[in-house]
Amino acid sequence: MPATASEPQGVREYLLAFADDEHLMGQQHTEWIGVAPFLEEDLAFSSIGQDELGHAALLYELVLELDGIDPTDTAIDSIAFGRPSRYYRCCHLVEYTTRDWAEALVRHWIYDTFEEMRWRLVAGSSRPRLAAIARKALQEEAFHRRHADALLDKLLASPEARERILEAFETVGPLAGGLCEPVVGEAEVIDEGVAAASTGSLLEPLQQAIGQRFGYWDSIGSPAANSQGGRTVRSADFEPLMARMREVLDYDPEAVW
Amino acid sequence: MHVYEVFVKKDGRDEFRHVGALEAANDDLALVLAREAYLRRAEGDRMWVVRRDHVVAAADDFVDPNADKPHRHHDGAAVAARRKAARQSQG
Repeated sequence: MPATASEPQGVREYLLAFADDEHLMGQQHTEWIGVAPFLEEDLAFSSIGQDELGHAALLYELVLELDGIDPTDTAIDSIAFGRPSRYYRCCHLVEYTTRDWAEALVRHWIYDTFEEMRWRLVAGSSRPRLAAIARKALQEEAFHRRHADALLDKLLASPEARERILEAFETVGPLAGGLCEPVVGEAEVIDEGVAAASTGSLLEPLQQAIGQRFGYWDSIGSPAANSQGGRTVRSADFEPLMARMREVLDYDPEAVW
Repeated sequence: MHVYEVFVKKDGRDEFRHVGALEAANDDLALVLAREAYLRRAEGDRMWVVRRDHVVAAADDFVDPNADKPHRHHDGAAVAARRKAARQSQG
């Protein structure tokens, strides 16, 4: 996956990491279709997953354009599903296979809290297309966050649910720091005005938000504590997730949809 | 949990219309869930949710007697027919 000579690798890596996070988060959410705790939640969570997949497709388009490839649906599918695992730049939080709805909900809250901050960094981007995508995404994020907050407000107020949510947080929380790990070459992103500040600068506000929501944040770790080598290292859950995502595609890779 | 009735209004012209109901733990969750259950395809641009137990409902037998008062119907055709009959009887 080479970048063209005129484009710095850092910008491509940055957009790819953003797209991969969105793609995997959306895919993970879709695994709850039909089995979410109740019908209306099923619909709401599916919608949120669909939004994330939409963001991913738009970001992959930008990556493909940097590569000089026409961003057709087939090309987007190819970059989304067809890369060897070493070319993915997602964080481990979105790769993690949740064990129950409590973990999925806690991850949803953490992910969308971070995602909103991340879109704000590119809302005034020097790349107009990216800035336009950010404006649309931020409208959607307001709903995602309200959904997650409304559920957690209610659940954390009831003793049994609170215990289960905090237990889930013990498992999922430590993966949150990885969201803030920058890709290699991110300095170019800031120099070019693609983003207003570094991904790492979001760690402190994310920790504060998590602290306010769950009561403590010291266990969530920092990028340094669970470094993914500039997001180049995949977790054990990645390959099984990719296999689930590719299950239908692999029946007939040449099929036209 | 409470049952909420959901009302949706379209584009400023039509009135609010009842579109369905759902169960939710509180007002905010009712709004969040109703948005995706009833407005996910832009079926309207404004929404109310109302707790069913906050609706002031009349008892059935309170309303029933008014079903049998045809003299309260302002039917133009019936009035016109009576006036025509009156004119003809005078003529």
